[in-house]
Amino acid sequence: MVLAEAVVWAPVTESVQVVRGGQARAYIIAEEHEDGSLLLAPEPVSSARRTVPAEDGRAAAVPEVAGILQVRDLTVTYGPKRAVDAVSFEIRRGEIFGLLGPNGAGKTSTLSAIEGLVKPQFGTILLDDIDSRRHPNQARARMGVQLQATSFQSELKISQIVRLYAGLYGVELSGQQILDGLRVIGLEGEAHKPFKQLSGGQQQRLSLYIAVVHDPALLLLDEPTAGLDPQSRRQLWSRIEHIRQEGGSILLTTHSMEEAQAVCDRVAIIDNGTLLTTETPHDLIEKHKNDPRVREVARGEVTLEDVFIGLTGSEIRD
Amino acid sequence: MTSSRATGDPPLRLVFGSLLRADFLVFLQHRRALIISLVLPVFVLISTSGTKATDKFGGAEFVIGLAIAYGLLSTSLIGYGLTVARDREKGVFQRLRVTPAPTWTIMTSRLAMQAVANLIIAVVVVIIGGQIHHISPSAGQYALVLLVSILAGAVFLSIAQAMVGLVKSADSVQAIARVLFAVLILLGLLGQSGALGTFWSSVARWTPVGAVMTLFAGVLNLHAWYSRDTLALLACLGYIVVFGGIGIRWFQWDAR
Repeated sequence: MVLAEAVVWAPVTESVQVVRGGQARAYIIAEEHEDGSLLLAPEPVSSARRTVPAEDGRAAAVPEVAGILQVRDLTVTYGPKRAVDAVSFEIRRGEIFGLLGPNGAGKTSTLSAIEGLVKPQFGTILLDDIDSRRHPNQARARMGVQLQATSFQSELKISQIVRLYAGLYGVELSGQQILDGLRVIGLEGEAHKPFKQLSGGQQQRLSLYIAVVHDPALLLLDEPTAGLDPQSRRQLWSRIEHIRQEGGSILLTTHSMEEAQAVCDRVAIIDNGTLLTTETPHDLIEKHKNDPRVREVARGEVTLEDVFIGLTGSEIRD
Repeated sequence: MTSSRATGDPPLRLVFGSLLRADFLVFLQHRRALIISLVLPVFVLISTSGTKATDKFGGAEFVIGLAIAYGLLSTSLIGYGLTVARDREKGVFQRLRVTPAPTWTIMTSRLAMQAVANLIIAVVVVIIGGQIHHISPSAGQYALVLLVSILAGAVFLSIAQAMVGLVKSADSVQAIARVLFAVLILLGLLGQSGALGTFWSSVARWTPVGAVMTLFAGVLNLHAWYSRDTLALLACLGYIVVFGGIGIRWFQWDAR
Protein backbone atom coordinates (compact mmCIF):
# COMPACT_ATOMS: atom_id res chain seq x y z
CA MET A 1 0.00 0.00 0.00
CA VAL A 2 1.22 3.51 -0.75
CA LEU A 3 1.74 5.67 2.33
CA ALA A 4 0.99 9.29 1.54
CA GLU A 5 2.14 12.43 3.33
CA ALA A 6 -0.90 14.24 2.00
CA VAL A 7 -3.66 13.43 -0.43
CA VAL A 8 -3.95 16.55 -2.55
CA TRP A 9 -6.98 15.60 -4.54
CA ALA A 10 -9.33 12.66 -4.30
CA PRO A 11 -12.30 12.71 -6.63
CA VAL A 12 -15.25 10.37 -6.38
CA THR A 13 -13.80 8.43 -9.31
CA GLU A 14 -10.83 6.07 -8.91
CA SER A 15 -7.98 8.60 -9.17
CA VAL A 16 -5.96 10.41 -6.48
CA GLN A 17 -2.97 12.73 -6.34
CA VAL A 18 -0.49 11.67 -3.65
CA VAL A 19 2.49 13.62 -2.33
CA ARG A 20 5.44 11.44 -1.33
CA GLY A 21 8.91 12.77 -0.62
CA GLY A 22 7.79 16.19 -1.75
CA GLN A 23 6.70 14.88 -5.17
CA ALA A 24 3.12 14.53 -6.36
CA ARG A 25 2.12 11.47 -8.34
CA ALA A 26 -1.14 10.30 -9.82
CA TYR A 27 -2.49 6.96 -8.62
CA ILE A 28 -5.57 4.94 -9.32
CA ILE A 29 -7.42 3.07 -6.61
CA ALA A 30 -6.61 -0.55 -7.33
CA GLU A 31 -8.43 -2.00 -4.31
CA GLU A 32 -10.71 -0.57 -1.65
CA HIS A 33 -10.58 -2.52 1.60
CA GLU A 34 -13.31 -2.94 4.19
CA ASP A 35 -11.31 -1.05 6.83
CA GLY A 36 -11.32 1.98 4.56
CA SER A 37 -7.71 1.68 3.40
CA LEU A 38 -6.90 1.94 -0.29
CA LEU A 39 -4.39 0.08 -2.43
CA LEU A 40 -3.03 2.52 -5.00
CA ALA A 41 -1.35 1.89 -8.34
CA PRO A 42 0.39 4.50 -10.56
CA GLU A 43 -2.00 6.05 -13.04
CA PRO A 44 -1.21 6.38 -16.74
CA VAL A 45 -0.37 9.99 -17.53
CA SER A 46 -2.85 10.18 -20.37
CA SER A 47 -5.70 10.03 -17.90
CA ALA A 48 -3.88 11.70 -14.99
CA ARG A 49 -5.05 15.08 -13.96
CA ARG A 50 -2.41 17.77 -14.33
CA THR A 51 -4.40 20.36 -12.36
CA VAL A 52 -6.29 20.30 -9.11
CA PRO A 53 -9.80 21.67 -9.10
CA ALA A 54 -9.96 24.06 -6.15
CA GLU A 55 -13.09 24.57 -4.11
CA ASP A 56 -14.03 27.64 -6.14
CA GLY A 57 -13.81 25.59 -9.32
CA ARG A 58 -10.60 27.19 -10.65
CA ALA A 59 -7.71 25.02 -11.61
CA ALA A 60 -4.70 25.05 -9.28
CA ALA A 61 -1.31 23.74 -10.34
CA VAL A 62 0.14 20.60 -8.75
CA PRO A 63 3.81 19.57 -8.87
CA GLU A 64 4.73 17.73 -12.10
CA VAL A 65 4.54 13.92 -11.92
CA ALA A 66 8.08 12.44 -12.08
CA GLY A 67 8.85 10.93 -15.46
CA ILE A 68 9.40 7.23 -15.93
CA LEU A 69 12.55 8.01 -17.94
CA GLN A 70 14.78 11.00 -17.54
CA VAL A 71 17.68 11.43 -19.93
CA ARG A 72 20.07 14.29 -19.21
CA ASP A 73 22.99 15.46 -21.38
CA LEU A 74 23.36 12.05 -22.99
CA THR A 75 26.45 11.92 -25.17
CA VAL A 76 27.49 8.86 -27.17
CA THR A 77 30.63 8.79 -29.28
CA TYR A 78 32.01 6.21 -31.69
CA GLY A 79 35.67 7.12 -32.04
CA PRO A 80 35.78 10.72 -33.26
CA LYS A 81 32.09 10.68 -34.28
CA ARG A 82 29.62 12.17 -31.81
CA ALA A 83 26.47 10.13 -32.51
CA VAL A 84 24.44 11.64 -29.66
CA ASP A 85 25.32 15.11 -28.41
CA ALA A 86 24.05 16.24 -25.00
CA VAL A 87 20.51 14.98 -25.56
CA SER A 88 18.00 15.56 -22.75
CA PHE A 89 14.37 14.55 -22.58
CA GLU A 90 11.84 13.03 -20.22
CA ILE A 91 9.11 10.46 -20.75
CA ARG A 92 6.06 10.79 -18.55
CA ARG A 93 4.28 7.86 -17.00
CA GLY A 94 1.76 6.31 -19.34
CA GLU A 95 3.05 8.32 -22.28
CA ILE A 96 3.87 7.18 -25.81
CA PHE A 97 6.93 9.15 -26.81
CA GLY A 98 8.27 9.09 -30.37
CA LEU A 99 11.89 9.74 -31.25
CA LEU A 100 12.04 10.83 -34.86
CA GLY A 101 15.02 11.49 -37.08
CA PRO A 102 16.53 10.70 -40.44
CA ASN A 103 18.96 7.77 -40.92
CA GLY A 104 22.07 8.18 -38.78
CA ALA A 105 20.48 10.94 -36.69
CA GLY A 106 21.24 9.17 -33.39
CA LYS A 107 17.90 7.49 -32.62
CA THR A 108 19.21 3.95 -32.26
CA SER A 109 22.32 5.15 -30.43
CA THR A 110 20.10 6.96 -27.92
CA LEU A 111 18.00 3.84 -27.47
CA SER A 112 21.09 1.63 -27.21
CA ALA A 113 22.46 3.86 -24.45
CA ILE A 114 19.19 3.61 -22.54
CA GLU A 115 19.19 -0.17 -23.02
CA GLY A 116 22.79 -0.36 -21.82
CA LEU A 117 24.12 -1.74 -25.10
CA VAL A 118 26.49 1.18 -25.59
CA LYS A 119 28.33 3.10 -22.92
CA PRO A 120 27.60 6.83 -23.03
CA GLN A 121 30.51 9.19 -22.71
CA PHE A 122 28.51 11.58 -20.56
CA GLY A 123 25.04 11.99 -19.20
CA THR A 124 22.59 10.42 -16.82
CA ILE A 125 19.74 8.03 -17.50
CA LEU A 126 17.18 7.56 -14.75
CA LEU A 127 14.61 4.84 -15.33
CA ASP A 128 11.91 4.78 -12.68
CA ASP A 129 14.38 6.73 -10.50
CA ILE A 130 17.10 4.10 -11.00
CA ASP A 131 20.42 5.24 -12.42
CA SER A 132 20.73 2.83 -15.32
CA ARG A 133 24.46 3.45 -15.71
CA ARG A 134 25.16 2.45 -12.11
CA HIS A 135 22.53 -0.29 -11.84
CA PRO A 136 22.07 -1.55 -15.41
CA ASN A 137 20.44 -4.86 -14.52
CA GLN A 138 17.92 -3.25 -12.18
CA ALA A 139 17.06 -0.78 -14.90
CA ARG A 140 16.78 -3.54 -17.53
CA ALA A 141 14.41 -5.45 -15.27
CA ARG A 142 12.00 -2.50 -15.57
CA MET A 143 12.23 -2.11 -19.33
CA GLY A 144 10.98 -4.17 -22.22
CA VAL A 145 12.91 -3.97 -25.46
CA GLN A 146 12.14 -4.66 -29.07
CA LEU A 147 15.28 -4.24 -31.12
CA GLN A 148 15.31 -3.08 -34.73
CA ALA A 149 16.33 -6.54 -35.94
CA THR A 150 15.27 -9.20 -33.49
CA SER A 151 16.95 -12.55 -33.56
CA PHE A 152 16.48 -15.47 -31.28
CA GLN A 153 18.37 -18.77 -31.20
CA SER A 154 17.33 -20.42 -34.46
CA GLU A 155 17.29 -23.88 -32.88
CA LEU A 156 14.60 -22.94 -30.35
CA LYS A 157 10.87 -23.20 -30.90
CA ILE A 158 8.54 -20.27 -30.20
CA SER A 159 7.27 -21.66 -26.89
CA GLN A 160 10.86 -22.33 -25.78
CA ILE A 161 11.87 -18.78 -26.69
CA VAL A 162 8.98 -17.36 -24.65
CA ARG A 163 9.90 -19.53 -21.66
CA LEU A 164 13.55 -18.49 -21.91
CA TYR A 165 12.91 -14.75 -22.02
CA ALA A 166 10.21 -14.87 -19.36
CA GLY A 167 12.73 -16.63 -17.11
CA LEU A 168 15.39 -14.02 -17.84
CA TYR A 169 12.94 -11.39 -16.54
CA GLY A 170 12.10 -13.48 -13.48
CA VAL A 171 8.71 -14.71 -14.72
CA GLU A 172 8.01 -18.44 -14.47
CA LEU A 173 5.42 -19.55 -17.01
CA SER A 174 3.79 -22.97 -17.27
CA GLY A 175 3.27 -24.59 -20.66
CA GLN A 176 -0.41 -23.64 -20.54
CA GLN A 177 0.36 -20.02 -19.67
CA ILE A 178 2.72 -19.84 -22.64
CA LEU A 179 0.05 -21.23 -24.95
CA ASP A 180 -2.52 -18.81 -23.52
CA GLY A 181 -0.16 -15.91 -24.15
CA LEU A 182 0.53 -17.06 -27.68
CA ARG A 183 -3.22 -17.39 -28.26
CA VAL A 184 -3.68 -13.73 -27.35
CA ILE A 185 -1.28 -12.70 -30.13
CA GLY A 186 -2.64 -15.27 -32.56
CA LEU A 187 0.40 -17.54 -32.52
CA GLU A 188 -0.93 -20.54 -30.62
CA GLY A 189 -0.62 -22.70 -33.72
CA GLU A 190 2.99 -21.68 -34.20
CA ALA A 191 4.16 -22.66 -30.70
CA HIS A 192 6.30 -25.51 -32.02
CA LYS A 193 7.79 -23.68 -34.98
CA PRO A 194 11.20 -22.01 -35.02
CA PHE A 195 11.25 -18.20 -35.10
CA LYS A 196 12.56 -18.00 -38.66
CA GLN A 197 9.47 -19.80 -39.99
CA LEU A 198 7.20 -16.96 -38.84
CA SER A 199 6.14 -14.17 -41.19
CA GLY A 200 7.39 -10.63 -40.59
CA GLY A 201 4.15 -9.64 -38.83
CA GLN A 202 4.18 -12.76 -36.66
CA GLN A 203 7.81 -12.15 -35.73
CA GLN A 204 6.98 -8.59 -34.68
CA ARG A 205 4.00 -9.77 -32.61
CA LEU A 206 6.10 -12.37 -30.84
CA SER A 207 8.91 -9.92 -30.33
CA LEU A 208 6.53 -7.41 -28.75
CA TYR A 209 4.94 -10.11 -26.61
CA ILE A 210 8.35 -11.11 -25.27
CA ALA A 211 9.22 -7.46 -24.64
CA VAL A 212 6.21 -7.07 -22.34
CA VAL A 213 6.16 -10.55 -20.80
CA HIS A 214 7.33 -9.09 -17.45
CA ASP A 215 4.98 -6.10 -17.61
CA PRO A 216 7.73 -3.48 -17.83
CA ALA A 217 7.36 0.11 -16.69
CA LEU A 218 8.93 1.33 -19.93
CA LEU A 219 8.81 -0.28 -23.35
CA LEU A 220 11.48 0.62 -25.92
CA LEU A 221 10.55 -0.05 -29.52
CA ASP A 222 13.09 0.55 -32.27
CA GLU A 223 11.22 1.01 -35.56
CA PRO A 224 8.56 -1.53 -34.58
CA THR A 225 6.51 -1.29 -37.77
CA ALA A 226 9.38 -1.30 -40.29
CA GLY A 227 8.58 -3.73 -43.10
CA LEU A 228 5.06 -4.53 -41.90
CA ASP A 229 1.96 -4.53 -44.09
CA PRO A 230 -0.81 -2.03 -43.20
CA GLN A 231 -2.89 -4.66 -41.38
CA SER A 232 0.00 -5.76 -39.19
CA ARG A 233 0.95 -2.13 -38.60
CA ARG A 234 -2.55 -1.19 -37.43
CA GLN A 235 -2.67 -4.26 -35.21
CA LEU A 236 0.65 -3.30 -33.67
CA TRP A 237 -0.57 0.24 -33.03
CA SER A 238 -3.59 -1.07 -31.19
CA ARG A 239 -1.37 -3.36 -29.11
CA ILE A 240 0.86 -0.42 -28.25
CA GLU A 241 -2.21 1.60 -27.25
CA HIS A 242 -3.41 -1.34 -25.15
CA ILE A 243 -0.06 -1.49 -23.33
CA ARG A 244 -0.36 2.22 -22.58
CA GLN A 245 -3.88 1.74 -21.27
CA GLU A 246 -2.51 -0.85 -18.86
CA GLY A 247 -0.16 1.78 -17.46
CA GLY A 248 2.97 1.18 -19.51
CA SER A 249 5.09 3.97 -20.95
CA ILE A 250 6.54 3.63 -24.43
CA LEU A 251 9.52 5.11 -26.22
CA LEU A 252 9.55 4.33 -29.92
CA THR A 253 11.63 5.36 -32.88
CA THR A 254 10.08 5.48 -36.30
CA HIS A 255 10.53 6.83 -39.80
CA SER A 256 6.77 6.90 -40.29
CA MET A 257 5.33 10.32 -39.57
CA GLU A 258 1.85 8.82 -39.99
CA GLU A 259 2.65 6.43 -37.16
CA ALA A 260 4.09 9.17 -34.96
CA GLN A 261 1.03 11.34 -35.50
CA ALA A 262 -1.39 8.49 -34.90
CA VAL A 263 0.25 6.88 -31.90
CA CYS A 264 2.52 9.29 -30.03
CA ASP A 265 1.50 11.71 -27.29
CA ARG A 266 4.71 13.66 -27.80
CA VAL A 267 7.53 13.45 -30.31
CA ALA A 268 11.14 14.58 -30.28
CA ILE A 269 13.05 15.27 -33.47
CA ILE A 270 16.74 14.42 -33.42
CA ASP A 271 19.24 15.18 -36.16
CA ASN A 272 23.04 14.93 -36.24
CA GLY A 273 22.90 13.71 -32.65
CA THR A 274 21.16 16.86 -31.40
CA LEU A 275 17.59 17.11 -30.16
CA LEU A 276 15.87 19.82 -32.19
CA THR A 277 12.46 19.94 -30.54
CA THR A 278 10.03 18.08 -28.27
CA GLU A 279 6.29 18.70 -28.62
CA THR A 280 2.98 17.00 -29.13
CA PRO A 281 2.49 16.28 -32.85
CA HIS A 282 -0.28 18.88 -32.92
CA ASP A 283 1.78 21.57 -31.18
CA LEU A 284 4.76 20.79 -33.39
CA ILE A 285 2.71 21.44 -36.50
CA GLU A 286 1.14 24.57 -35.03
CA LYS A 287 4.51 25.91 -33.91
CA HIS A 288 6.27 25.38 -37.22
CA LYS A 289 3.54 25.64 -39.82
CA ASN A 290 4.63 29.17 -40.77
CA ASP A 291 8.35 28.38 -40.75
CA PRO A 292 9.63 29.16 -44.28
CA ARG A 293 11.56 25.83 -44.37
CA VAL A 294 8.31 24.00 -43.64
CA ARG A 295 6.20 26.06 -46.05
CA GLU A 296 8.73 25.32 -48.77
CA VAL A 297 8.18 21.56 -48.56
CA ALA A 298 4.46 21.56 -47.65
CA ARG A 299 1.91 20.63 -50.30
CA GLY A 300 -1.37 21.93 -48.97
CA GLU A 301 -2.11 21.55 -45.29
CA VAL A 302 1.07 21.25 -43.19
CA THR A 303 1.66 17.74 -41.87
CA LEU A 304 4.09 16.32 -39.34
CA GLU A 305 6.16 15.03 -42.24
CA ASP A 306 6.43 18.57 -43.67
CA VAL A 307 7.64 19.85 -40.30
CA PHE A 308 10.08 16.96 -40.02
CA ILE A 309 11.57 17.54 -43.49
CA GLY A 310 11.55 21.30 -42.95
CA LEU A 311 13.56 20.97 -39.74
CA THR A 312 15.94 18.20 -40.81
CA GLY A 313 16.43 19.10 -44.48
CA SER A 314 15.57 17.40 -47.74
CA GLU A 315 18.88 15.74 -48.52
CA ILE A 316 18.92 11.94 -48.47
CA ARG A 317 20.79 10.35 -45.54
CA ASP A 318 22.44 6.96 -45.67
CA MET B 1 1.37 -9.55 -19.95
CA THR B 2 1.68 -10.69 -16.38
CA SER B 3 -0.32 -9.03 -13.69
CA SER B 4 2.45 -7.55 -11.55
CA ARG B 5 4.89 -4.93 -12.77
CA ALA B 6 8.58 -5.91 -12.77
CA THR B 7 10.40 -4.01 -10.04
CA GLY B 8 13.62 -5.76 -9.14
CA ASP B 9 16.43 -8.04 -10.26
CA PRO B 10 15.07 -11.45 -11.26
CA PRO B 11 16.39 -14.36 -9.14
CA LEU B 12 19.74 -15.61 -10.43
CA ARG B 13 18.55 -19.20 -10.08
CA LEU B 14 15.72 -18.57 -12.50
CA VAL B 15 17.88 -16.59 -14.94
CA PHE B 16 20.66 -19.17 -15.03
CA GLY B 17 18.19 -22.06 -15.11
CA SER B 18 16.42 -20.54 -18.09
CA LEU B 19 19.68 -20.06 -19.98
CA LEU B 20 20.86 -23.58 -19.17
CA ARG B 21 17.55 -25.07 -20.29
CA ALA B 22 17.65 -23.17 -23.57
CA ASP B 23 21.30 -24.04 -24.21
CA PHE B 24 20.58 -27.68 -23.42
CA LEU B 25 17.76 -27.69 -25.99
CA VAL B 26 20.15 -26.19 -28.54
CA PHE B 27 22.71 -28.82 -27.57
CA LEU B 28 20.17 -31.58 -28.23
CA GLN B 29 19.43 -30.07 -31.64
CA HIS B 30 23.16 -30.27 -32.39
CA ARG B 31 23.55 -33.93 -31.39
CA ARG B 32 24.34 -34.86 -34.99
CA ALA B 33 27.30 -32.47 -34.93
CA LEU B 34 28.49 -34.20 -31.75
CA ILE B 35 28.35 -37.58 -33.49
CA ILE B 36 30.27 -36.16 -36.46
CA SER B 37 32.90 -34.85 -34.03
CA LEU B 38 33.53 -38.46 -33.06
CA VAL B 39 34.29 -39.61 -36.61
CA LEU B 40 37.89 -38.40 -36.69
CA PRO B 41 38.82 -39.74 -33.23
CA VAL B 42 37.36 -43.15 -34.07
CA PHE B 43 39.22 -43.14 -37.39
CA VAL B 44 42.48 -42.40 -35.53
CA LEU B 45 41.79 -45.23 -33.08
CA ILE B 46 41.09 -47.73 -35.85
CA SER B 47 43.91 -46.68 -38.17
CA THR B 48 46.48 -47.01 -35.37
CA SER B 49 45.22 -50.34 -34.08
CA GLY B 50 48.32 -52.23 -35.25
CA THR B 51 51.20 -52.57 -32.76
CA LYS B 52 53.65 -50.82 -35.06
CA ALA B 53 51.39 -47.83 -35.59
CA THR B 54 50.60 -47.59 -31.89
CA ASP B 55 54.28 -47.64 -30.99
CA LYS B 56 54.96 -44.79 -33.40
CA PHE B 57 52.78 -42.55 -31.20
CA GLY B 58 54.35 -43.73 -27.97
CA GLY B 59 51.80 -46.35 -26.99
CA ALA B 60 48.06 -46.99 -26.79
CA GLU B 61 47.54 -44.30 -24.10
CA PHE B 62 49.02 -41.65 -26.41
CA VAL B 63 46.85 -42.78 -29.32
CA ILE B 64 43.72 -42.53 -27.18
CA GLY B 65 44.92 -39.16 -25.90
CA LEU B 66 45.41 -37.97 -29.46
CA ALA B 67 41.95 -39.19 -30.45
CA ILE B 68 40.32 -37.39 -27.52
CA ALA B 69 42.27 -34.23 -28.34
CA TYR B 70 40.94 -34.32 -31.92
CA GLY B 71 37.38 -34.80 -30.73
CA LEU B 72 37.62 -31.90 -28.30
CA LEU B 73 39.35 -29.76 -30.90
CA SER B 74 36.55 -30.41 -33.38
CA THR B 75 33.65 -29.72 -31.04
CA SER B 76 35.25 -26.73 -29.31
CA LEU B 77 37.08 -24.91 -32.07
CA ILE B 78 34.55 -25.41 -34.82
CA GLY B 79 31.36 -26.13 -32.86
CA TYR B 80 31.58 -23.53 -30.11
CA GLY B 81 33.54 -20.92 -32.07
CA LEU B 82 31.22 -20.93 -35.04
CA THR B 83 28.03 -20.95 -32.99
CA VAL B 84 29.17 -17.94 -30.97
CA ALA B 85 30.28 -16.07 -34.12
CA ARG B 86 26.99 -16.76 -35.92
CA ASP B 87 24.78 -15.90 -32.94
CA ARG B 88 26.69 -12.68 -32.50
CA GLU B 89 26.28 -11.79 -36.16
CA LYS B 90 22.53 -12.52 -36.03
CA GLY B 91 22.08 -10.33 -32.95
CA VAL B 92 21.14 -13.14 -30.56
CA PHE B 93 23.57 -11.85 -27.93
CA GLN B 94 22.30 -8.28 -28.23
CA ARG B 95 18.77 -9.52 -27.55
CA LEU B 96 19.98 -11.43 -24.51
CA ARG B 97 21.99 -8.46 -23.28
CA VAL B 98 18.98 -6.15 -23.05
CA THR B 99 17.50 -8.49 -20.43
CA PRO B 100 18.54 -8.24 -16.76
CA ALA B 101 20.61 -11.43 -17.12
CA PRO B 102 24.23 -10.72 -16.11
CA THR B 103 26.49 -11.21 -19.13
CA TRP B 104 28.61 -13.80 -17.34
CA THR B 105 25.56 -16.06 -17.03
CA ILE B 106 25.03 -16.00 -20.81
CA MET B 107 28.56 -17.22 -21.53
CA THR B 108 28.84 -19.56 -18.55
CA SER B 109 25.68 -21.36 -19.60
CA ARG B 110 27.07 -21.92 -23.10
CA LEU B 111 30.42 -23.07 -21.77
CA ALA B 112 28.70 -25.46 -19.38
CA MET B 113 26.90 -27.16 -22.27
CA GLN B 114 30.15 -27.31 -24.20
CA ALA B 115 31.80 -28.96 -21.20
CA VAL B 116 29.06 -31.62 -21.25
CA ALA B 117 29.76 -32.25 -24.94
CA ASN B 118 33.47 -32.58 -24.17
CA LEU B 119 32.81 -35.08 -21.38
CA ILE B 120 30.67 -37.21 -23.68
CA ILE B 121 33.36 -37.23 -26.36
CA ALA B 122 36.12 -38.11 -23.89
CA VAL B 123 34.20 -41.01 -22.35
CA VAL B 124 33.09 -42.44 -25.70
CA VAL B 125 36.62 -42.27 -27.12
CA VAL B 126 38.12 -43.91 -24.03
CA ILE B 127 35.56 -46.72 -24.20
CA ILE B 128 36.08 -47.34 -27.93
CA GLY B 129 39.86 -46.84 -27.62
CA GLY B 130 40.01 -49.25 -24.71
CA GLN B 131 38.27 -51.91 -26.83
CA ILE B 132 40.44 -51.40 -29.89
CA HIS B 133 43.77 -51.01 -28.06
CA HIS B 134 43.02 -53.52 -25.28
CA ILE B 135 43.19 -51.14 -22.35
CA SER B 136 40.93 -51.44 -19.32
CA PRO B 137 40.98 -48.16 -17.40
CA SER B 138 39.94 -48.33 -13.76
CA ALA B 139 37.05 -46.33 -12.36
CA GLY B 140 39.60 -43.89 -10.95
CA GLN B 141 41.20 -43.48 -14.35
CA TYR B 142 37.81 -42.80 -15.92
CA ALA B 143 37.26 -40.13 -13.29
CA LEU B 144 40.64 -38.63 -14.12
CA VAL B 145 39.83 -38.75 -17.84
CA LEU B 146 36.67 -36.75 -17.13
CA LEU B 147 38.64 -34.25 -15.10
CA VAL B 148 41.31 -33.88 -17.75
CA SER B 149 38.72 -33.63 -20.49
CA ILE B 150 37.31 -30.54 -18.74
CA LEU B 151 40.80 -29.06 -18.63
CA ALA B 152 41.59 -30.10 -22.21
CA GLY B 153 38.22 -28.80 -23.39
CA ALA B 154 39.04 -25.50 -21.70
CA VAL B 155 42.27 -25.31 -23.73
CA PHE B 156 40.43 -25.56 -27.04
CA LEU B 157 37.52 -23.42 -25.85
CA SER B 158 39.94 -20.68 -24.86
CA ILE B 159 41.49 -20.85 -28.35
CA ALA B 160 37.98 -20.61 -29.85
CA GLN B 161 37.17 -17.70 -27.53
CA ALA B 162 40.34 -15.89 -28.58
CA MET B 163 39.40 -16.49 -32.21
CA VAL B 164 35.89 -14.99 -31.84
CA GLY B 165 37.42 -12.22 -29.72
CA LEU B 166 39.86 -11.17 -32.41
CA VAL B 167 37.72 -11.87 -35.48
CA LYS B 168 34.22 -10.43 -35.84
CA SER B 169 32.88 -11.90 -39.07
CA ALA B 170 31.35 -15.37 -38.80
CA ASP B 171 32.66 -16.27 -42.27
CA SER B 172 36.19 -15.31 -41.28
CA VAL B 173 35.88 -17.26 -38.03
CA GLN B 174 34.76 -20.30 -40.02
CA ALA B 175 37.71 -20.01 -42.42
CA ILE B 176 40.27 -19.48 -39.66
CA ALA B 177 38.82 -22.30 -37.55
CA ARG B 178 39.16 -24.74 -40.46
CA VAL B 179 42.75 -23.75 -41.18
CA LEU B 180 43.68 -23.93 -37.49
CA PHE B 181 41.92 -27.28 -37.19
CA ALA B 182 43.83 -28.70 -40.16
CA VAL B 183 47.19 -27.34 -38.93
CA LEU B 184 46.75 -28.71 -35.41
CA ILE B 185 45.62 -32.10 -36.72
CA LEU B 186 48.47 -32.45 -39.15
CA LEU B 187 50.98 -31.26 -36.60
CA GLY B 188 49.58 -33.78 -34.14
CA LEU B 189 49.53 -36.73 -36.53
CA LEU B 190 52.71 -36.12 -38.49
CA GLY B 191 54.66 -34.40 -35.76
CA GLN B 192 53.92 -36.87 -32.99
CA SER B 193 54.55 -39.86 -35.25
CA GLY B 194 58.01 -38.46 -36.05
CA ALA B 195 57.24 -38.36 -39.78
CA LEU B 196 58.42 -34.71 -39.96
CA GLY B 197 61.64 -35.22 -38.00
CA THR B 198 62.73 -34.57 -34.42
CA PHE B 199 62.32 -30.77 -34.56
CA TRP B 200 58.65 -30.95 -35.54
CA SER B 201 58.18 -33.79 -33.11
CA SER B 202 59.30 -31.45 -30.29
CA VAL B 203 57.13 -28.63 -31.61
CA ALA B 204 54.11 -30.95 -31.87
CA ARG B 205 54.57 -32.10 -28.28
CA TRP B 206 54.04 -28.54 -27.00
CA THR B 207 51.17 -27.56 -29.25
CA PRO B 208 47.74 -27.56 -27.59
CA VAL B 209 46.98 -30.95 -29.19
CA GLY B 210 50.33 -32.38 -28.09
CA ALA B 211 50.03 -31.13 -24.51
CA VAL B 212 46.48 -32.45 -24.20
CA MET B 213 47.45 -35.78 -25.71
CA THR B 214 50.36 -36.15 -23.24
CA LEU B 215 48.06 -35.31 -20.37
CA PHE B 216 45.49 -37.95 -21.35
CA ALA B 217 48.26 -40.51 -21.81
CA GLY B 218 49.50 -39.62 -18.34
CA VAL B 219 46.19 -40.28 -16.61
CA LEU B 220 45.61 -43.49 -18.59
CA ASN B 221 48.96 -44.79 -17.42
CA LEU B 222 49.33 -43.47 -13.90
CA HIS B 223 52.17 -45.86 -13.07
CA ALA B 224 54.39 -43.81 -15.30
CA TRP B 225 53.68 -40.14 -14.52
CA TYR B 226 56.73 -38.30 -15.81
CA SER B 227 57.89 -34.73 -15.49
CA ARG B 228 56.76 -34.23 -19.12
CA ASP B 229 53.20 -34.90 -17.94
CA THR B 230 53.53 -32.18 -15.33
CA LEU B 231 54.94 -29.83 -17.95
CA ALA B 232 52.04 -30.71 -20.28
CA LEU B 233 49.63 -29.82 -17.45
CA LEU B 234 51.38 -26.47 -16.99
CA ALA B 235 51.33 -25.88 -20.75
CA CYS B 236 47.56 -26.50 -20.81
CA LEU B 237 47.03 -24.05 -17.97
CA GLY B 238 49.21 -21.53 -19.78
CA TYR B 239 47.16 -21.88 -22.97
CA ILE B 240 43.93 -21.39 -21.02
CA VAL B 241 45.22 -18.24 -19.31
CA VAL B 242 46.70 -16.67 -22.45
CA PHE B 243 43.98 -17.50 -24.99
CA GLY B 244 41.16 -17.15 -22.48
CA GLY B 245 42.54 -13.75 -21.49
CA ILE B 246 42.69 -12.63 -25.12
CA GLY B 247 39.19 -13.97 -25.77
CA ILE B 248 37.65 -12.19 -22.79
CA ARG B 249 39.61 -8.96 -23.24
CA TRP B 250 38.75 -8.46 -26.90
CA PHE B 251 35.38 -10.18 -27.19
CA GLN B 252 32.61 -7.95 -28.48
CA TRP B 253 28.96 -8.84 -28.16
CA ASP B 254 28.02 -7.03 -31.33
CA ALA B 255 29.48 -7.95 -34.73
CA ARG B 256 29.03 -4.42 -36.14
